[in-house]
Amino acid sequence: MDFANFDVDQIFGLSDDTNPLLWLIWIIPIVIFMFYGQRIQLQITSGDIKKNIEKLKQLKEESRTGLIDYIKKELKPKADPTEKLDRFISYFTIMPVDMDPNGIIPKVRHTMRSREEYTRSQVKAIFSDIDTLEITKVQNLLEVATTLQLLYKIVNHLFLTAKKQNNYPLILPLQMMLPFIMEEADALKGAIPALKHGQPIGDGIGPMVVGKMMLGTEKQKVAFETVWSQTEHEGRKLYLLKAEGPLATVGRPGDGVEHIVSQYKPDAIIMIDAAVKLEGEDSATVAQGFGAAIGGIGTDRFQIEEIATKNNIPIFAIVIKQSIKEAVATMTKEIADKADETRSQLYEMIAEHTKPGQSILVVGVGNTLGVSQ
Amino acid sequence: MFSKKEEKINYTVEKCMSCNNMTTRKFKTGDFLFKETSECQACKGKILIEKIFAETIKA
Repeated sequence: MDFANFDVDQIFGLSDDTNPLLWLIWIIPIVIFMFYGQRIQLQITSGDIKKNIEKLKQLKEESRTGLIDYIKKELKPKADPTEKLDRFISYFTIMPVDMDPNGIIPKVRHTMRSREEYTRSQVKAIFSDIDTLEITKVQNLLEVATTLQLLYKIVNHLFLTAKKQNNYPLILPLQMMLPFIMEEADALKGAIPALKHGQPIGDGIGPMVVGKMMLGTEKQKVAFETVWSQTEHEGRKLYLLKAEGPLATVGRPGDGVEHIVSQYKPDAIIMIDAAVKLEGEDSATVAQGFGAAIGGIGTDRFQIEEIATKNNIPIFAIVIKQSIKEAVATMTKEIADKADETRSQLYEMIAEHTKPGQSILVVGVGNTLGVSQ
Repeated sequence: MFSKKEEKINYTVEKCMSCNNMTTRKFKTGDFLFKETSECQACKGKILIEKIFAETIKA
């Protein structure tokens, strides 16, 4: 063979469309992708998902060990609580059947409250002497560990099912949802230091605004872990309601509103809460609107909407926008700085929508950890 | 690869209810909002915790 006279064009058939080598170069990948395309895509996607599953596993373990260490070091339990805590972390909740949704709200409320009460009594039983603040902190830390464990289990299950079936389309919804799941998991991780140290979180801005207004007033218990008091502003009576701080609790605002409305029939309800900002929106912006500003599973919102509708009371809302991460982590300076502005907007809203002599129920919605009154 | 490690520092802002004098210090365990912490050196008024917040710094 004459290597000195090597013709590249001849080998690759650049001058001839029917060269078999070039034909093979094109046709082999097409055949491979036709028969194995989904498997190749599954392998590529799997790598990315595996990394996130490992991260979720790590977050789940960190939250579990963090909780156990916190209890052992700070709260001095009667005995080693590890086994009991592991059992609590694995607890699940079966929601009521919703095939016939009529009357489902009281059932959901009953299920959730039963779970809360059981966890509270079990946490109490671990210690010989523990105050309410610590019980609520441990409950919240347990909630974080349980949620992270659940996220890990669900993501891992979906991934393994897709792999087992070698089914690429099955992995697509997981791939789409994973960034949101990881965002939530990261946010939950950020909540742990705030819960351990008893610091106000972003979600506590509503209680922070109302808590300051309650200073110097006589506080009364209106529902479980929920307090209220009365004050006056420009000839109007204000009924102030919030969860009992500085506990790590959201209280029972639904029960509180129901009690105050049935007793005092206010002319308006104003709810102040943190709200998840949309992408592109600035954090810590204050916005006003209508309707019950309250998150959670929906039972409290239902209760408030129902009592307000029955009594023909308008509900106004003031929300402080923030990301999920900001809402559950220690309050940022930007959000804390908005407390005074929110209070000013509340007073403006009261002046615009009510007349002197009328009464207004102001509800500070959110977790009141580190926020007294 | 080039991202800096983030560190959170928690602060407590105290405010005198009489002269509105504000001071900022590092957060201590046991601090909570509207807790009466001490007496104002200047006017003997009540000092309450006005704000608690975290600031993120890139180390």
